[in-house]
Amino acid sequence: MTQYEWTLPDVGEGIHEAEIVKWHVAPGDRVAAEQPIVEIQTDKATVEIPSPVAGQVDALLAAEGAVVRVGTPVIRFAVETGSGRTTSAATEAPVPPRETPLAAPPRSRVLATPAVRRLARELGVDIHQIQGSGEHGRVLADDVRTAAARPAAVADRPPSPEPRLQPADDGDVRVPLRGTRRTIAEHMVKAMYTAPHVTAMDEVEVSTLVAWREEMKAAARSRDVHLTYLPFIIKAAIGALKRFPYLNASLDDERQEIVLKSRYHIGIAVDDEEGLVVPVIRDADKKSLWELAEIIQDLSRRAHEHRLTREELTGSTFTITNFGSFGGLYATPIINYPEVAILGSGRIQKKAIVVDDDRVVVKPVMSVTLTFDHRVVDGGTAGRFLNQVMRYLQSPLDLFMEMN
Amino acid sequence: MDPLKAFPLIQVLDEDGRLIGDRSQVSDDQLRAFFRWLTILRTLDQRAWNLQRQGRIGTYPPFSGQEATQVGVAAALSPDDWLCGSYRDWAALVYRGVPLYFPLLNSMGHPAAGAFPDPVQALPVQVVIAAQILHAVGLAWAAKLQGEPRIAVALFGDGATSQGDFHEALNLASVMSAPAVFVCQNNQWAISVPLHRQMHSQTIAQRAIAYNIEGLRVDGNDIIAVYQTMKEVVERVRAGGGPVLVEAVTYRLGAHTTADDPTRYRAREEDERFRHGEPLARLRRYLLASQILSEDEMQAIEEEAKGLVEQAVTDAASYPPSPPESVFDHVYASIPPQLLSQQEELARRVREGRRGGQSHG
Repeated sequence: MTQYEWTLPDVGEGIHEAEIVKWHVAPGDRVAAEQPIVEIQTDKATVEIPSPVAGQVDALLAAEGAVVRVGTPVIRFAVETGSGRTTSAATEAPVPPRETPLAAPPRSRVLATPAVRRLARELGVDIHQIQGSGEHGRVLADDVRTAAARPAAVADRPPSPEPRLQPADDGDVRVPLRGTRRTIAEHMVKAMYTAPHVTAMDEVEVSTLVAWREEMKAAARSRDVHLTYLPFIIKAAIGALKRFPYLNASLDDERQEIVLKSRYHIGIAVDDEEGLVVPVIRDADKKSLWELAEIIQDLSRRAHEHRLTREELTGSTFTITNFGSFGGLYATPIINYPEVAILGSGRIQKKAIVVDDDRVVVKPVMSVTLTFDHRVVDGGTAGRFLNQVMRYLQSPLDLFMEMN
Repeated sequence: MDPLKAFPLIQVLDEDGRLIGDRSQVSDDQLRAFFRWLTILRTLDQRAWNLQRQGRIGTYPPFSGQEATQVGVAAALSPDDWLCGSYRDWAALVYRGVPLYFPLLNSMGHPAAGAFPDPVQALPVQVVIAAQILHAVGLAWAAKLQGEPRIAVALFGDGATSQGDFHEALNLASVMSAPAVFVCQNNQWAISVPLHRQMHSQTIAQRAIAYNIEGLRVDGNDIIAVYQTMKEVVERVRAGGGPVLVEAVTYRLGAHTTADDPTRYRAREEDERFRHGEPLARLRRYLLASQILSEDEMQAIEEEAKGLVEQAVTDAASYPPSPPESVFDHVYASIPPQLLSQQEELARRVREGRRGGQSHG
């Protein structure tokens, strides 16, 4: 058995660092050569890395979310010498450096005189972390002294998997935009600047729905399912989508065509500490309310554990966000681009409403919103769609009668 | 004029591998050989991609999807003909006789990857877009002046047709009636620029009209169509018929290079539509259906391909390190004095650098 440490190569052209997005293997796993082991992200591409050797994973040396410099070891294998692909010289443990002539050097070269380098060592400052103020970024003695004078906790901290929070001179903390946060940011900007957003809002009386759910709570407990309103909202939305296909659609900019989707893959926005994720319920129209409740429960649990696969996070045709779950009454959500609409459901609260014979009664009322892409959908269609959703929520029996 | 009608797509196998044309110019044995080469080349290409991801080679431009055009073109040439390709044309070069490990050497930075062993008649891969088209015209014109029967073939992509060099080359070849064949591998994408943003013309073949030369459009994913078309074209050009522009319509299955991520700019639906009918799967379906090869035989070929590629990886990894000054070695047949002194100076500086001399940032 020999140990083989694999260091992050330059997976692009002139890449200096990459983010570890997802490990496909864990310590103890046996891996075959060429089997995908990790997904990493550079500023240019998301890249799957195939295993360079056959063997057993000894340790992962970088955490998911960590930004790692080229040349840093990220995984260690235990490799049986002479096993696996014996024909390949390269599999026999450490690859001599000459075989990777184009990989960038482990660390960027710092310009500094020997005297300054010694000063840095004496003061315990990592010279690689210093921004030089001299010609061509040369690190000067004063730069080293300034760096040494900064709070030790910050200056001495080795590169760690967590984002490094470095207070600036004014005390503000600058958090690097990474991972999920960066993906969300890019996605939101794209959606907001591509699709002209319009939001319609309304209220719907949901006493029947509330009663139905109350009635089914015991059954839900015995099935070990947490029954929320979301499965009902999904069913109501699909019922309406079937009548208004332009809401279950996307715009193909390239070909200038509106794509009306034949299937109903419903995205559900899940709030998580690390940021919003939208797992997808595939063919939600073919699922029973119980099935939906179970799937929602499973997806949200795994969303919080960050165990959703890429497949489960892509491909939705329409999205629902329940901002009522954290107390919201109204919101103007951003479309899950390239979809053309997002349905929002607010908190259910008791309200005094005027009924047909002018009596004022107290009923549970849910607020609903529909944000739509005005390139594809007009206000009239959006309004009729939202009315249909509300009709189903107010009178779930209608929904039941139309089920196939 | 409707260019799509004036330059109809020449096809022998349709996207599903059904025979829809005449294949009388290609034998069953030749088809078996083509399948074997396409398999070896695809295996090599995918392995090279992985090697780059593992940090064992540098930047690599995959050719997957374009093997039928490259092999079909190379197979139609005589050993004396010139082949002038770009960095993505290793499939054609390897088929011509360049060792399988050369593409890997090239991505490892070995200058030796540009020195093809005899008797391979081909220029080193060209990285400057479209430059090799002019080189091919020069070689073709020279052959004509020397009264030799050889022709020159340039391989290039759709993006290259937007370069001045492409137009200069076609014009000069046309004026001089040089025995050159211009094979454009229209793979639909110039890095991230789709064809319709690259040009307003409907076809690349129609550009032949402007230079008063013959233009043809062939399904570049159909190796039978490419090979048979090229056979005829090469014969005409060799006989003095003047240059020809061939547009091979194909698709880049992978990324532009290992530094590129096409999922950022190619829509999935469109990608899937273009993938259908890719050359290897198409030939495979035809050979199976027509019982020219069996599943077992194909599997044996795939195993053989894996072994050959494994050997190529070993050969490349064990290649002796190239000293930096060796970049001068293959530029001229004999190094001119000025260049020789530069080579010596570089060697001296490298030696001093290794002894820990002053670094110059």
